Amino acid sequence: MNRIKESVKTFLDAFAAQMSVVFRDQGILLILGFLTFGYPILYSLIYNPELVRDVETVVIDHDRTALSREAVRRMDATQYLKVLGYAADLPEARRAVNEHKAYCIIEIPENFERNATGGEGTQMVLYCEMSLLLRYRSMLTAAIDVSQAMGADLSARTLDGEVPGAASLLVEDPLGIHSVFLGDTTGGFASFVMPGILILILQQLICLMCGLSGGARHEYPLELGFTPLARRPHTLAKMLGEMLCFYIISLPVAIWLIHYVPMIFSFPQAGDVWQEMLFITPLILSSICLGFVLQGIVWQREGIFVIWVVTSLVFLFLSGLTWPYYAAPRMWQYVADALPATWGVQGFILMNSNGSSLTQVAHFYHNLWWLTLGYSLVAYCVQRWIVRPDVRRRYIMDAGTAQDADTTAASES
Amino acid sequence: MKFKDTGFWAIFRQCFTGYATMPVYWVGVFILPLFLFLFLGSLMREGLPEKAPAAILDLDHTSLSRNITQNLASMQMVDMVAAAESYTQARHLMQEGKIYGYFLIPEGFTADLLAGRSPQITFYTNQTYYVPATMLYKTFKTTAVYTKMGILMEVARDAGLDTSGLAGTANPVSPVMRPIGNPWLNYAYYLCNGFIPGALQLMILLITTFTLGEVVKYGRSGRLMRMADGNIVKALAAQLLPQTIAWVCIVLLMESWMFRYNGYPMNGSWGWLTLSEIMFVLASQALGVFIFCLLPNLRLSVSISALLGIVTFSIAAYSFPVPSMYPGIAIFSYIVPARYNFLIYVDQALNGIDIYYSRLWFVAYLIFMALPLPLLWRIRKAYLKPVYLP
Repeated sequence: MNRIKESVKTFLDAFAAQMSVVFRDQGILLILGFLTFGYPILYSLIYNPELVRDVETVVIDHDRTALSREAVRRMDATQYLKVLGYAADLPEARRAVNEHKAYCIIEIPENFERNATGGEGTQMVLYCEMSLLLRYRSMLTAAIDVSQAMGADLSARTLDGEVPGAASLLVEDPLGIHSVFLGDTTGGFASFVMPGILILILQQLICLMCGLSGGARHEYPLELGFTPLARRPHTLAKMLGEMLCFYIISLPVAIWLIHYVPMIFSFPQAGDVWQEMLFITPLILSSICLGFVLQGIVWQREGIFVIWVVTSLVFLFLSGLTWPYYAAPRMWQYVADALPATWGVQGFILMNSNGSSLTQVAHFYHNLWWLTLGYSLVAYCVQRWIVRPDVRRRYIMDAGTAQDADTTAASES
Repeated sequence: MKFKDTGFWAIFRQCFTGYATMPVYWVGVFILPLFLFLFLGSLMREGLPEKAPAAILDLDHTSLSRNITQNLASMQMVDMVAAAESYTQARHLMQEGKIYGYFLIPEGFTADLLAGRSPQITFYTNQTYYVPATMLYKTFKTTAVYTKMGILMEVARDAGLDTSGLAGTANPVSPVMRPIGNPWLNYAYYLCNGFIPGALQLMILLITTFTLGEVVKYGRSGRLMRMADGNIVKALAAQLLPQTIAWVCIVLLMESWMFRYNGYPMNGSWGWLTLSEIMFVLASQALGVFIFCLLPNLRLSVSISALLGIVTFSIAAYSFPVPSMYPGIAIFSYIVPARYNFLIYVDQALNGIDIYYSRLWFVAYLIFMALPLPLLWRIRKAYLKPVYLP
């Protein structure tokens, strides 16, 4: 009975001590504030224009006919391209690209009109500056849209030329082709990338908080009110108390990230927020446990930045957001499997953008619980056999130094 | 042989030994960057992720629809993992994340087609996943357009028309894309050339501010200033030179690893690119010193370095172009050296144009290097009268 009482006391003490560490540490508050408000808003603002519009374009028109001018006008009229002007030849157009004034060159060949209307068919060549994929995507979309629209019009005109009124009689297309975008229905970049990034931010925030507070405890065990000298360690109760602290801090952050940020910036929000919160729970717990494991290797508060911050990039690529999971080599798939963010990002974007229910993403959800279980076991071992003995040693050392200082001061006075 | 215990080389020697004995430097300078090279290189070895999982939803069940299915399955970019029986089933497969798109051939497709009732082929792509969705969109669209062309040709031939000139009539203007420098549309070229230098800039900023701040935190700054005869430039230069050497080795390794070993496009001069990489290291270190000038405190300067370093991946416009950003945000893309590294890579390696066009980017590096100079007195003050705030 006594032991249970002691455990409960340890649990509550650990919770209170951890709370005071978090709210007294400027470093943790800075990270908490910036990752919660700064990053999501800044990233959303960077990507919020969603589409790459008005890519600067130079035209070389070797044909100079009504039809070639119409083609250029149609290109300019799309939201994707903006025609800056005409160039006499390729070197002149290339100079505009070299000077970073234009990113696309449209070359219309000689006899464009004659071949297009005469039945031979003709081409429209687009030279694309390839530094960014999104820009290429815009140029490609414009080219396909315009050529198809012009093609349809020209076919109708040709038909009308042969049999007057035939095109208007031929109301229906023999075979319709229809494309539907699901999830991110506008194909916008922010709507694609941000929901995943928000989950990554959540995981990294939790890991950094845990790492920083672990470093702080290592450096100042005395000032932070830890009592590692108790005869019975109650490591589990202590760990659970600290987990509760981080969970309570993460919960409002998670609600803000998965509900309010998408709402403010009009990202897709097809999912049910309560189911999403249920889904996010094991993500938060496993991230906390991962952070506790990290405490085993972070001996200095600032050290966590050096080793952990750059991993965000690695996790971004492993999550399947920028590089699909199925195309990753087997070895990296295993690494990705061990990260809460991988399952969190995949499951969350399916729920958020595709409106999947929790049962439909059960696979991801179960894996997150397995990770929680695995990491909590490792975290327990790390806390018990690495972190606690170290804090104890530092505590005794610091207490010794403090005592020495006291004795010196007393003898001097 | 006896070494002097003050002066530039004494500090250099001492710092060098100090770095070599601390694991955090080994991890930050060598292990993490090398890991990143290997990671990104092996992750995107294919260049373009092929075989996006997709499903066919054939509600027609005729020889024509089976033909279309077979055509689709033989395409390089897709992996037809499932044949759905109903629309709901296909949608569920997508919502479960098992497929990234599906191709619908409606019920009575062949009959409608033959009767001239104009049936419709519809394909669905899950744009939540950009890359697979783009691959599927392309494949589905091509298949649909070829199917339509095939049917048109057949109808025309049956009607006794000459089909040789028909292709031009059906598709009078065809667009031809000429992607300059990357005709393979290799995805790794985009990502690695931006993100790897970006990651190195992050590590350089972190390690630089960490080094400068640590000296204050552990009370070694007074002694350091005495060794440097009170000269802050000498103290900083001697402290950072061992790291400069290490970073230059790392960026040169990166350059040869990307452009030689992995064969990324290199259409220009190796000399200018190498100069750019070396200046990039110096500019990033100078930016780190500048951050420490503003906030001469270990924790704050390391935190700011981390935050700036991570924002670099977005603000340096590796994926979303600067002219498309809001103007108020776009100006910030020019405050990080990694942006200039990327611009010089685009000009010199990808496009291989004259150095004249990149001159301004090199000037920007020089400005970064000069940035901390007017504020060095703040570090001097912090070193001589260290105040460590936990």
